Amino acid sequence: MPPAPAREPAASVSSLARPLADLSWLELRQITVPGRARPRLDRVSLAIGCGERVALLGASGAGKSSLLAVANGQLVPASGSLRWLGSPPARPGPARRRQQARIGTLWQDLRLIEELSVQQNLNSARLAVWGWPRALLNLLWPLESDANRDALAQVDLGAELLGQPVAALSGGQRQRVAIARLLRQDPELLLADEPLASLDPRLASEVLQLLLDQATPRRALLLSLHRPDLLVGFDRAIGLRQGQVLFDQPASAVGPADLEALYGGEPP
Amino acid sequence: MLAPAVVLIPVVALLPDLVHGGGFELLADFAQAAFSPSLDPLVVGSALSGLGLTVGIALLGWASSGVLGLGLALASSRQVWTTSCALRWPADLVRRLLALPRSIHELLWGLLLLQVVGLQPAVAIAAIAIPYGALVARVLSDQLDALPDGALAALRASGVPAPQALLTALGPPLLPGLLSYGGYRLECALRSATLLGVFGLGGLGTELKLCLQSLQFHELWTGLWLLLAVMLLLETSLAGLRRRWLMPRRLGLAGPSPGSASPGLATAPAQAPGSGRSPAQSAPADAGLGDADPARLRSQASRPAQPGLPNPLVPVAVPNDGLDVDAGPGGWALAAKTATLGRRGREMVLALGVLAPLLVWLARAMAVNPLALLSWQPLPNLGGASWASVLALPWPQLVGATLLLTLIAAGLAVGLAPLLLLLTAPWPWARPLLQLVWALARLWPPPLSALLLLLLLKPGLVTAALALGFHNLGILGRLLLEARDDNQAPAEAALLGAGVGPRLALFYGRFSSLARSYLAYGAYRADVMLRETVVVGLVGAAGLGSQLLESLSAFAWDQLLALMVVYALLTLLGEDLSDRARRQLLAPP
Repeated sequence: MPPAPAREPAASVSSLARPLADLSWLELRQITVPGRARPRLDRVSLAIGCGERVALLGASGAGKSSLLAVANGQLVPASGSLRWLGSPPARPGPARRRQQARIGTLWQDLRLIEELSVQQNLNSARLAVWGWPRALLNLLWPLESDANRDALAQVDLGAELLGQPVAALSGGQRQRVAIARLLRQDPELLLADEPLASLDPRLASEVLQLLLDQATPRRALLLSLHRPDLLVGFDRAIGLRQGQVLFDQPASAVGPADLEALYGGEPP
Repeated sequence: MLAPAVVLIPVVALLPDLVHGGGFELLADFAQAAFSPSLDPLVVGSALSGLGLTVGIALLGWASSGVLGLGLALASSRQVWTTSCALRWPADLVRRLLALPRSIHELLWGLLLLQVVGLQPAVAIAAIAIPYGALVARVLSDQLDALPDGALAALRASGVPAPQALLTALGPPLLPGLLSYGGYRLECALRSATLLGVFGLGGLGTELKLCLQSLQFHELWTGLWLLLAVMLLLETSLAGLRRRWLMPRRLGLAGPSPGSASPGLATAPAQAPGSGRSPAQSAPADAGLGDADPARLRSQASRPAQPGLPNPLVPVAVPNDGLDVDAGPGGWALAAKTATLGRRGREMVLALGVLAPLLVWLARAMAVNPLALLSWQPLPNLGGASWASVLALPWPQLVGATLLLTLIAAGLAVGLAPLLLLLTAPWPWARPLLQLVWALARLWPPPLSALLLLLLLKPGLVTAALALGFHNLGILGRLLLEARDDNQAPAEAALLGAGVGPRLALFYGRFSSLARSYLAYGAYRADVMLRETVVVGLVGAAGLGSQLLESLSAFAWDQLLALMVVYALLTLLGEDLSDRARRQLLAPP
């Protein structure tokens, strides 16, 4: 990957010459998701360009998870429009799957397949590209060990873990394996819903650094966070309160007043 | 736990009236013949060929039910339908439709097919495959739908097509339960194949019945001992496979129905379905007598650090891979950490590779022609069905007798197993003896016990109940014995240490913890017995079953149809009742 300035999408990435406005990797316009008492998302608009590292802040219940669910296609908003890498979501089918293969999600519960080995779990990220025969073979034979070894090395895990069942790993190892699985998917948009929520402080900062390192010039990163003190390293911060965007500014510009407005007066 | 044995009192009270003269000598002859089976090469040869046929029928019927069941399970799984085309109703529809073939006993299928297509090797196989397939489909689809779907959703969200996502995310967690259940079905298939033989569909059962009817006890025992050897061989090798592949151990007492059980047992992560097509075929592993609750199994497997409450009822599997594994409740977690993956998956594929040609060869050798099932013989003219004659049947008596028969048989089976265990507790030789008796009871088809009892007793409901109860006693007894062998009970040890007698210690220290799941399994067994009442129908005067056989031999198709519908309804009702009872018993206090 040739080094490129963070905000400038490399010309080689997008084969189509699009107007600059369309080059957001993720774009939400007036997204509304109804909820019981009040909308879970209320006319939310935001755009994230490639190479950006964006933190999503907000108290619990502010709509962070809903926003991420809309962003990865899990949740269909009641109104508003969504664009992935410049194009609207396709109808379910091969075209839609190709789009989704370019969006990687780090789930809060990781969603590793417990019964399978680390190797097989890493390979499961390639299933969108692989056909039937390899999907079957993956369950029987170690496939693509080299690529998996590289992915593990990037998250500071040794290759000896490849054959281990995921169920046998420690919590920190599981987090790293989940991130390595994302690396194997090689998405252009990386979403993570509270990836640090259940981690101890030391592990949390390690995992965060790992994730931030993944923001290459052609990959955008959107993480929801519950701790504003971890903002260092992000380019931008978006604050959500009661389903609405409260602020959207450079991370370095987020001050105590913003945080007070974000968390203050919220019921715990 | 002993309460069901109360049924013994009226039964014992009735017995003297039923005894007719002269039976005791015959029975003594029968017992003596056990020690001197005929070794005449002719007899042994014919028993062996009969046995071959029975085993062949069992294997082919089991394999086709596996393939059929797996396909139907996918077709009746909500998870599969919602994932692949966002619809739910087709799954529910298939599920409803499958209730019918499931509720009809394999013997009825056999006799029905026999009437329709004539005597063919394929008839017995289809008779096993149809109800078993529907049963496997229900159990598997329940297990599928109970699996957590997080990993599946994650795969789908990253653009993986539905079939591959289902295979990768749900295949591995489903596999242990699938194989355990498949192994148990194979044991059942062997029993069913013998039973079908008794009713003339070929194989060892036919020979056993002929020997018994002509009072050739020595020849009878030749066949019986051979059958026993095959059955024990099958059970041990399945247990061996199950240990080798780290499949869950027999989970029978943990709860026979998906969703209602709580086995406190964590499965080792299972590698690799043998293949996407028919893992059921690929790898028999032993026998959850019931069906594990995979969701629970999985949730435990995913938290290896948490040993969970040691549930004394649930045997903890001890892998024999030479791994340094403690036999305690944490054993599985350790096994999960150290077991090598991959090897098992490849072995399963290998097993499938060996099994498939073997089955094909077997089908050839038995000259099975599945197409023969399609060429129906001309049906007897139905004419105007005479609904008057259908209505004239004594329905209330028939239904009442069937239910009474089930209750007595269930009481006998459920109550006697712990009672006998308790009575024999202090004797050192009791264990092997009980094991032998229970193995014999299992393999001895109920209609043969009924015939044997007829030597001594008059035909009737109690005789039929005794025969049915004895057979199920073998199944329950084995389960109870294994549950006792596989677990230490600190409470029992403590009582023994306090100088309490062995019987009381067993009763208080062990049974108290076993009781709930044992009774829950008993409820499931009662449901099975209701279905099985048809097989003791030939003893006469025993409810719907005997009327059914009578109508069948009289070609009274209208009556037959009505009877089958009533039977199916009754079975479905019984299934629902026993499900409720089980859920009640297994609900956490």
